[in-house]
Amino acid sequence: MPDFRVLYNRERKWMFYLLSIYVLGWGFTSFQTVFLGLILGTCFGFLNLWLLVRKTEKFDKLVSQGKKVTSLGSLSRMATAGIAAVIALRYPEYFDMIGLVIGLMTSYIVIMIDYFYHVVHVQK
Amino acid sequence: MTGSIGILAAAIAIGLAAIGAGIGNGLIVGRTVEGIARQPELRGVLQTTMFIGVALVEALPIIGVVIAFMVLNR
Repeated sequence: MPDFRVLYNRERKWMFYLLSIYVLGWGFTSFQTVFLGLILGTCFGFLNLWLLVRKTEKFDKLVSQGKKVTSLGSLSRMATAGIAAVIALRYPEYFDMIGLVIGLMTSYIVIMIDYFYHVVHVQK
Repeated sequence: MTGSIGILAAAIAIGLAAIGAGIGNGLIVGRTVEGIARQPELRGVLQTTMFIGVALVEALPIIGVVIAFMVLNR
């Protein structure tokens, strides 16, 4: 298994933990719009992460075969964020915009924290 | 934000975000391919670095897209 696949599996685990915390927050607190925005953003951020892993695998396959790589799928990831923003803007009574943006960025924050944690603690 | 100025602002936000992401991704991917060509045994490490680099580069353009939609909706 390539290294980044291990990294992705670890990140997936943390994302599921975070999603479960958000669902608990949505169910048991009065900040329902904030948590619903966070859930929506995290789901789309998760989708972005999966798309990135898929494209990176495809990139690896094509590079090792000596073929040309046309795209890393930036446009599809931006479009995903756009869809999430449109949903939140269409239903502002259910989704909080700030929560959505934080949720979209969650996967990147998880990547950074996980990477630096492993660089500092595990590979020491 | 009224009418055409809002649309212009959204277009500039998305356009600049896409330019930044394109340049950043191009540099990262180019150097990764170069590194793999030089040392094929380091493919796994280079790929992981590329994965993290691309993820970090694309964080801000994605915020840019969301802000553009927010500006368009006003």
